[in-house]
Amino acid sequence: MAGGGTLGGGGKAKRGKHSKRKKKKRVGFVLDMTPLVDITFLLLTFFMFTTTMMQPQVMEMKLPPELYEETQVDASKLFTLLLRGDGELFWYKGKMELKQEPLNAPVKVSLDTNLRKLAEEENLQPKVRNQLITVLRIEDDAQFDKVVGILDYLNQAEIKISEVILSEKNADGTAKFPKRDRRFTIAPLEEDEKEYLRSQK
Amino acid sequence: MPKVKKKRMSFVIDMTPLVDITFLLLTFLMFTAQFKSESESAQTFTIERPGAAADTTKLPDKDLAVIKIAIAKENKLDTSYYFTIANSKDKDAILSKLPDVDPERFKAGIIKCDRDSILLSNFVRATLSVNPKTRFAIEADKSVRFKLAFDAMNILRKNKALTFNFVTEKKKNN
Repeated sequence: MAGGGTLGGGGKAKRGKHSKRKKKKRVGFVLDMTPLVDITFLLLTFFMFTTTMMQPQVMEMKLPPELYEETQVDASKLFTLLLRGDGELFWYKGKMELKQEPLNAPVKVSLDTNLRKLAEEENLQPKVRNQLITVLRIEDDAQFDKVVGILDYLNQAEIKISEVILSEKNADGTAKFPKRDRRFTIAPLEEDEKEYLRSQK
Repeated sequence: MPKVKKKRMSFVIDMTPLVDITFLLLTFLMFTAQFKSESESAQTFTIERPGAAADTTKLPDKDLAVIKIAIAKENKLDTSYYFTIANSKDKDAILSKLPDVDPERFKAGIIKCDRDSILLSNFVRATLSVNPKTRFAIEADKSVRFKLAFDAMNILRKNKALTFNFVTEKKKNN
């Protein structure tokens, strides 16, 4: 059984049949490990089946205090994302003016490839640096999964954005922005936006 | 002939390395194992968490209240809110603040609020008054409609719990 090996020894290792037989006699101590191994395996399998390796992680959300508070904001500082119920994402800058100007109409954006880059670009526009307000408007029956996906991409973009903004210096060498001021809110879609999104394919 | 027999009998496997590795794995799994809490085992629904990029932030063990939104098994509809609190000593204090609630429902540590946002709001308020350090988390299933999560967020917002968490899972395909 296990635990054997050569306990006695010293001197040259002998070879041949003759020496083998002699060794055997010396190693009289053998521990039967079979029950130990049995129990250990039993426990091992138990723990292996009961543990969950996938620990839930968390995503932090910070919301502005009032949802329906009317605050006067400069429309040029708005970066709005619209999520339609079927998971299609649109975005536009500033104020949406569907009737007069088709320029500011929402544009479709692919969630997986472009959103992170888009958020980085828009947040680092020189005019609105550290002032841009990201508004996420979501239709009621959008899936929660998609929303978390969008938040995830925005969080990923945030890494680069805050790095660039905090590294910016004034002419005299002081930091231009003492801290990254992230402005973000979630709101439901408004009627005209809903109508517009429905008309888009 | 007798020589051949002897050789067969001396067949020995050295189990030492096997035992070493097994014990190593065993101790590892024993120390990392986390057992289901009371409220988790009373939970009659499963929540498939949405995926997000890897993050080291983990859900805290104490001072935590989770609002769960699940898909019901029978009709595949998102029906109700569930409310759980991690600190067991807070539970009684919260219940004493809410005399209308049947304490039996809360015994197991999980309470079904149906679609009753007023009840949920009462719970959130009571939780915050009992333990202001409580952090809130929203754990919703992947395919839950956002409306429900948004309503829960608004309840938290009205109760001045402006920082809270979404419970996610590490994305698998990344």
